[in-house]
Amino acid sequence: MSGHAHDRPTAAELAIAVHEFLEREILPTLDDHRLRFRTLVAMNALTIVARESPAPPERDWQSARRIRAGDIHEGDVAALKAEVEAKLRVASPGYLERYR
Amino acid sequence: MIDALERALGARVERAVRLAGGASKEAWSVDTADGRELLVRRAGGGVIHLDTLSLREEFDVLVAAREAGVRVPEPLAYLGDLDGREAFVMERVRGETIGRRIVNEPPPGLGLQMAEELAKIHSIPLERLPALPRADLWERLYAELDSVDEPHPAIELGIVWCRERIPLGRPPVVGHGDFRIGNLMVDEHGLVAVLDWELAHVADPAEDLAWPLVRAWRFGADSRRLGGIGDVEPYLERYAELTGREITLEELYAWEVLGNCKWAIGSLTQARRHLRGEERSVELAILGRLAAEKEYELLDLIERAA
Repeated sequence: MSGHAHDRPTAAELAIAVHEFLEREILPTLDDHRLRFRTLVAMNALTIVARESPAPPERDWQSARRIRAGDIHEGDVAALKAEVEAKLRVASPGYLERYR
Repeated sequence: MIDALERALGARVERAVRLAGGASKEAWSVDTADGRELLVRRAGGGVIHLDTLSLREEFDVLVAAREAGVRVPEPLAYLGDLDGREAFVMERVRGETIGRRIVNEPPPGLGLQMAEELAKIHSIPLERLPALPRADLWERLYAELDSVDEPHPAIELGIVWCRERIPLGRPPVVGHGDFRIGNLMVDEHGLVAVLDWELAHVADPAEDLAWPLVRAWRFGADSRRLGGIGDVEPYLERYAELTGREITLEELYAWEVLGNCKWAIGSLTQARRHLRGEERSVELAILGRLAAEKEYELLDLIERAA
């Protein structure tokens, strides 16, 4: 993955959210033994993803604080757009197509 | 709950189905033996949003809107405590609220009807609803953004840009707070009812007027700037004609940028409901990552305005 900082939930937090969804909302609706078993395996896979995900890098508050104080630099819009684009290339790449 | 409901309504309940919705507020579709089709709104077991109206306040807003001639489901009775939780009952209206379906086949005249409903909402006398939140716009945005506890320079830039362009000189009005496709029930003839009043607050009228323009509320029909259903100009003209409030396209553009800031912050705060354990949900969680879509849009709008 890129070295860019992403917003929360982290990859691990997302994996846990899906694990909880399967456990609380899907598993109780399943009667078929094979499907139950496969769902339990899928849940186990998600906990592996969650444990293995590296801790995300510390976020940098510098530019957010500077801009809040009203100190806006030329080129801020373009630089921020590149940062947000990097977040979207992971979180929602299809969305960027709407601007082409 | 059915026993309590039958006592409150004075009729036997034939059918009560809980509709999909949030954990903080429940909605029940209820049919009574005497032929009434009702919708019961009831507090949920989850943690209540601090920034939304209580059901008592929401009921009062619905009554005031109805008096002003706004198309809303008829508010029938505030029930007070219903089996341990606050509730009210209103008429159940029929129509389409799914954004994607509405933008695929928008009923003719919907844009003008939206302007007409907003004109009526903004005519509700402020003194009629003294309990309505009236926080300063900028303070409210910063308070919500700070509650997220994550740096978002794009949103910071958006707010600074808007503050330079939004004068807030107009007398404030009763604002709906979430007036957009998805919260408007329509049928083939047009607008049936304005729903979801829990974000009502005292606001500059331009805040409501620009909210349905926000790209997220165009449901994929990006080229039709008004909610994916029509053009902005006739909507703005109709609103000006009815209210005498002349809001320029330029000012509305700044409020559209602000709308994207608001929805970016709203997405982040909803994700916090999941992250803090108030309401565990993949749908809420993913919003934390989708806030970046609104950040991209607000930066794109700012770039194009330059």
